[in-house]
Amino acid sequence: MTDKQRVCVTVNGRRYERWVEPRLTLVDFLRHELHLGGTHVGCEHGICGLCTVLIDGRSGRSCLTLAVQVDGAEVTTIESLRDPSTGALHPIQQAFVDAHGLQCGFCTPGFIMTTVELLRENPDPSDEEIKRALDGNLCRCTGYQSILASVRLAARRLREGREA
Amino acid sequence: MARGVLKLPEDLPVSVPRFVGKEVTRLEDPGLVTGTAEFIDNLSLAGMLHCAILRSPHPHARILRIDTSAAEAMDGVAAVLTGEDLRRWCNPAVTAPEGWGSYSMAVDKVRFVGEPVAAVAACNRYLAEDALEQIRVEYEPLPCVPDAHAATTPGASLVFEEKGSNVIQSRVYDWGEVDRMFAEADHVVSNTFRWNRVGANPTETFGCICQWDLTGNALTCHGSYQVPRFMALGRSATLRLPANRIRIIAQPMGGGFGGKGGPRGTDIAALLSRKAEGRPVKYIEDRIEYLLAGGGQSWDRHYEAALAVRADGTITGLKVKLLDDQGAGAEGYGTISAAKPLAAFTGCYRIEAARYDLTLVATNRAPTYPFRGYGPPPHYFVLESLVDMAARKLGMDPAELRRRNYIRPEQFPYVVPSGNEYDSGQYEVVLDKALALADYAKLRAEQARARAAGRLIGIGVVSTVEPGVFDWNCYATVGVPGVGVPEGVKVAVDILGNVTVAVGFNLQGQGQFTVAAQVAADYLGVDMHAVRVATAASDVALPHFGQGGSRLGVSVTGAVLGACRKLEVLFCRVVAHLMQTTPEQVELMDGRLRLKANPAVGMTLAEVAGTMLARSDLLPPDVEPCPEANYVWTAPGRTAPDEQGRCKSYLTAANATHLVMVEVDRETGQTSILGYWIVDDCGTRLNPATVDGQIEGGVAQGVGAALFEEYVYGESAQPLVTTFVDYLIPTIGEVPSSRKAVVVTPSPVSPLGAKGTGEGAIHTTPAAIMCAINDALSPLGIEVRETPASPRRLWQLLQQVA
Repeated sequence: MTDKQRVCVTVNGRRYERWVEPRLTLVDFLRHELHLGGTHVGCEHGICGLCTVLIDGRSGRSCLTLAVQVDGAEVTTIESLRDPSTGALHPIQQAFVDAHGLQCGFCTPGFIMTTVELLRENPDPSDEEIKRALDGNLCRCTGYQSILASVRLAARRLREGREA
Repeated sequence: MARGVLKLPEDLPVSVPRFVGKEVTRLEDPGLVTGTAEFIDNLSLAGMLHCAILRSPHPHARILRIDTSAAEAMDGVAAVLTGEDLRRWCNPAVTAPEGWGSYSMAVDKVRFVGEPVAAVAACNRYLAEDALEQIRVEYEPLPCVPDAHAATTPGASLVFEEKGSNVIQSRVYDWGEVDRMFAEADHVVSNTFRWNRVGANPTETFGCICQWDLTGNALTCHGSYQVPRFMALGRSATLRLPANRIRIIAQPMGGGFGGKGGPRGTDIAALLSRKAEGRPVKYIEDRIEYLLAGGGQSWDRHYEAALAVRADGTITGLKVKLLDDQGAGAEGYGTISAAKPLAAFTGCYRIEAARYDLTLVATNRAPTYPFRGYGPPPHYFVLESLVDMAARKLGMDPAELRRRNYIRPEQFPYVVPSGNEYDSGQYEVVLDKALALADYAKLRAEQARARAAGRLIGIGVVSTVEPGVFDWNCYATVGVPGVGVPEGVKVAVDILGNVTVAVGFNLQGQGQFTVAAQVAADYLGVDMHAVRVATAASDVALPHFGQGGSRLGVSVTGAVLGACRKLEVLFCRVVAHLMQTTPEQVELMDGRLRLKANPAVGMTLAEVAGTMLARSDLLPPDVEPCPEANYVWTAPGRTAPDEQGRCKSYLTAANATHLVMVEVDRETGQTSILGYWIVDDCGTRLNPATVDGQIEGGVAQGVGAALFEEYVYGESAQPLVTTFVDYLIPTIGEVPSSRKAVVVTPSPVSPLGAKGTGEGAIHTTPAAIMCAINDALSPLGIEVRETPASPRRLWQLLQQVA
């Protein structure tokens, strides 16, 4: 154990200041210090993608990132997506529900955060582009076909929403 | 009055079913897509400690000494546990067959790499892991048993010395005149096959929070528990507590597939709580622990098998000899995996006679656990490979050979040689639909052109039967007693007409909360969102099993129907009393209890429930003020097994044909899936989207087992696979987009005609892919009979003919 260090980080638009051990991972910081439990842990060695969050807008593995590394950064997690006033689901979340893009749902927050990044950068991705974007996220339940359909549906709805 | 058995959705007391059979969105999903579902690691209790476990680096070694003094002295460490505590307080795990279980933490010796040796409870997980580094263990390595063949070598080291042998069970089942079938056969195809270890690997590992009540001598465990009631019974046996003092609270699970594990972790966290004066202790298994020693290893099998075939293609006999490496004992109930094929030993075929020569052995590999399918996926790989080999020998098309041997629709109910009775099916219809969907003739023409151009293209056409709704009787021969698997629910109506369905299981991914709500909503004529499904803790829940053995969709349907029917009877009595008529004159329809003779006159569910709860003066004198009903369902007509293991075991028999086209790269040995087609018949589809999800998920796991996944062990039983870098779960890039079609043959014996459907795809996919690869390789005169058909394995084979 070493001395704690100060971390100032903005998570989902809210600023936090905490003193943490340098070895504390970002995912443990989010889950156990900030009580944002929607980011899940699947392998802790960077393969499964369950712990995906956005760090300054880019998707990243919060299990391989230390909390002290996000000092000064903006972190976005699954908790940010739902409309805070109405409680309505984000269109990507709704698309996963409507297209049955989940079964146990444990990997889903990671898939959704990766999809947020994908559709921000590419509003109309092809199946191949969706697969490339999501090939760092493991799902053991669905066989991915319904996830593919969910992302397609979300992309269409977001595009239509933009046009409307 | 109440209706009889509801054979089809149309029999429900609504004008038109609004939910059953429809692609409704799932009740489960809002909590899951927002990340708010309470998975075990999202739960915290006041004063909670965190557990870390020290694990053996040796496959087989005597423990000479453990020094925990430095760990115990650390600030923040509340308790340290070793095998000595277990020896004092616990019993070894109960197993089937009996006597092949270890203590939850090694006592005297370790039997596999990763076996728990000591554990720490500290104020956080980081500190607990620091403390493990301060524990000193002295081992004396023992000669190890690295694999199944070594287990039976004379002079082999013994994994369980007191047993005097490493053979857990060895016996031969004989069904029909097997020797005569083989003697009279025109052709016999026989071969050896090897299925390497694979396993469940849900994305969430096992986790629990255990709290020992030191004054009340009781234990409460929250956790990712698949079968809460059996977890309570098992803990009762190991922890020496009465089962009614163990409260298991199942949290939503991040997948299970049978291989969640949990007994050892629960015992260790519970005992640490006991030592830490009753503070709650959380244990969250990490992925390396799961891969090393969790519940995720299954089916480590060596086969010799043969098929007896007449010149016209009639298959008359099947012999399967299995040497099954159970790992270090039977604590994970991997033994059941070897017995399960009895439910569908001869697959889709009219094979008259069969023999199953079964030897289960203990080795110093990790103990094996259930995995989706629980045994038939390797068995079908063997059977279907033999059928393809027979087709090649006879020069017949493999689809035609299968067609010739299918059980025909008019033969149902059909009793297979191994004793189970299939309820219904239309195998040829399913096959023909698959051949049409894929345009089989065109695929064969494409294959011929590609072969002429030197490419290795192959087609697999495989049909299987998925036994659904498991029963204990199927496993009697490995020492699991009993007939019948109760699944209980309570259905309650409140004063405003809301409906609660209380079940004994929690979420695991297959959508059974939604199924329960669909059935209750359509029976009681309410909106699905008026139904809440809730999990009862194990100590107050009705008898239940939960997910497993392709049964819960069917069994929870049966239970909800049963409870609703009891409510209907009760409500009819109340309404009859209020309206001064007889119950026979009252009926439930579209959510109202109404007079048959004058349907405009009636009461809503809320009015009846409200009267019962708040106007006892108006009730018939013998009616309790309780608008609730319990029902515990079990499959009807199950039988006790005979001396050859034969019985009516699994209630339903679903069927599927998978057709797959692959290409093997000559240079790299890599297999690409060029096309995948599925026709499935699981009877009534209660929620078609959920059924599709079960199929697609099973295909993905089947692709993994056929091409990528393998727990590799070194020659000294050291596991070489400890991360997801080594254990290759298919990604979105490897799982094919299948084209699918459906045949619906409602089961005549199950509630609403539904058949178990969680395991059919993993029964079929590995066999289909392996058959396709061997079809691709057949012009070269080589074949792969070992899974997974990894690029390395295929490349080595291709070198033989290069």
